[in-house]
Amino acid sequence: MRILIAEDDAETAGFVERGLTELGHVVSRVGAGEDALHVGTTETFDLVVLDRMLPGLDGVEILKRWRAAGVTTPVLMLTALGGIADRVSGLDAGADDYLVKPFAFAELAARLAALGRRPPISDVVTRIEVGDVTLDVLKREVRRGGHEVHLQPREFALLEVLMRHAGKVVTRTMFLEQVWGFHFDPQTNIVESHLSRLRSKLNRGFDHDPIETLRGIGYRMRPHD
Amino acid sequence: MTKLFASAAYRIAFTYSAGFALAIVLLGAIVYVAADADFRRQQDAAIAEESAALVADFRDEGLGDLTETIAAREVSSATNGFGYALFDRAGRRIAGALDTTRPLTGFRNIIFNDPVEGPDPARAFATDLPGGYRLVVARDPEELERIDSTILALFSGALVLVVLVGAAGALMLGGYLRKRLGRISGTAQAIVTGDLDRRMPISAREDEFDQLALALNAMLDRIAQLLENLRQVSSDVAHDLRTPLARMRSGLEEALDGPRDLAAYRTGLKRAIARSDELLKLFAAILRIAEVEGGALKRTFARVDVTELVADLCDSYAPPVADGGRSIDCEVEPGLALNGDRELLAQALINLLDNAQTHTPPGTHIVVMAEANADWIRLSVADDGPGVATDDRELITRRFARLDSSRGTPGHGLGLNLVVAVARAHGGDVAIDSNEPGLRVTLVLPRLAE
Repeated sequence: MRILIAEDDAETAGFVERGLTELGHVVSRVGAGEDALHVGTTETFDLVVLDRMLPGLDGVEILKRWRAAGVTTPVLMLTALGGIADRVSGLDAGADDYLVKPFAFAELAARLAALGRRPPISDVVTRIEVGDVTLDVLKREVRRGGHEVHLQPREFALLEVLMRHAGKVVTRTMFLEQVWGFHFDPQTNIVESHLSRLRSKLNRGFDHDPIETLRGIGYRMRPHD
Repeated sequence: MTKLFASAAYRIAFTYSAGFALAIVLLGAIVYVAADADFRRQQDAAIAEESAALVADFRDEGLGDLTETIAAREVSSATNGFGYALFDRAGRRIAGALDTTRPLTGFRNIIFNDPVEGPDPARAFATDLPGGYRLVVARDPEELERIDSTILALFSGALVLVVLVGAAGALMLGGYLRKRLGRISGTAQAIVTGDLDRRMPISAREDEFDQLALALNAMLDRIAQLLENLRQVSSDVAHDLRTPLARMRSGLEEALDGPRDLAAYRTGLKRAIARSDELLKLFAAILRIAEVEGGALKRTFARVDVTELVADLCDSYAPPVADGGRSIDCEVEPGLALNGDRELLAQALINLLDNAQTHTPPGTHIVVMAEANADWIRLSVADDGPGVATDDRELITRRFARLDSSRGTPGHGLGLNLVVAVARAHGGDVAIDSNEPGLRVTLVLPRLAE
């Protein structure tokens, strides 16, 4: 994917650029607000990583102008401001995701993967199939190999997030945001507890675990090879 | 002088007295001009009257009688200052002692030859009489000039007096203002240079300066209080950041000095990352508390369904609590709502739930309750664990407060502090009491009317 990094801190920008290049993406880098505004409107990217505080023109303003100019590229906003009001204003300006610095590269990569080539109709898909697991959003029903698996609401929600991101990593904070609506990290690991219950219910009577654990990063659901 | 005018106090006082002096000058000028004009008018009227009487005499009695009348009047007019002259057609003075050439008719300012003083100005009125005669009645304006100079002298004296008194007053007032202000700025200087306990002097007069000093002292007290809070927090932060930073550093050093083994390096690095994550959590907690205490979030408050929120949290926490070997029960009244921020309330309750697990042994039973009366919602998290001694209950809501008994458990000591901040931001408070046995923490929050 072609990814634009608009970040004035050379160290952060370099760290992100190296990581994304290693993953096989084509990365362009700008450091100043005006350049970001210009490049973002004249060139086409699949994704943008936009720092909230750029010299010259700040990220929120750039994003507003991009959106006003009809640029619909998914934007992940990076920021040192972790306040509730900051996040709300960033998302209001048209950001698709919001990540507070400092962050683990794996977290950024997972979130970018989730944003990139997001199928536009994903929200209206009511039946998702990954390998031998099917999930019916309307009926609130999960089947594996034809047999119904009875799940608690939270477990169902976790599985739905995993299946919508099939083949991609979902991190703990992404689960917290998408299943619970929390933008903070509780001390108690509620994600792990619910996921282990989901797993044991899903895998009862099966050898293969479709949910893969990536230690320290997150979880990924993949169809059985 | 420049220095004097650099002082606002002196400037004000001097400007004020200069204004007074100007007023005196203006008043003097007006009085002088008005009085002078009035006296001249009166003088002209007297001359015209005298002239009319003589003309009447001429008409009634003829030239000879007029000459006699003039001679008689000249004798008596030595006191009232009139002079007379009667000229014939050829311009010769045939009567009167006024030594002057024949003037034109009407009011004229003439020069006559005073037998004592020599040429002297006078005000004259000349009338033509039948037979080519011209009668001149004049008056020496000496008296008028005397009055004018008296007025001038009076006002000049007054002006000098006003300027002198004004300057003296200005110096005194300026000096007084400087002295009072000097005390305040002197105190401020002392505070700037580090004597933070100094306060503005207050006199018994209770005047504007004392009111200013009182206001400044109140401000200084408030600042001192905030500084003390800040100092407390920063020393706490320094202490609580130094410990994990020191652990992280020594861990890294250990890994570096240890066996030159990739696996050992990786373990050391991972541990360092985990410790830096702890530090970041601590920062996030500090910033979150600051954000909540800042109060700006109140603008985005909306209706929160408390019943749903608490039930949700119970569902979410039941599995991890069970995984830790503890149990949880929830008793939630239906239909509870309040005006607030859902995520903040969730975070507050989660902090309490986290505490109820980290500070209790396995086997502990946790009870979450949400109940309400007409005005208040009570959200409580109670456990039957070891509890907190009565004396320590106040302490644990403070920033970075960690009882010695909990030093070994994870956490940064800001959890309850955030709970209190959240409760207060919602217009409520937190109560901590014994669950007999164990601890119960209750958020008391204003209920939203249905």
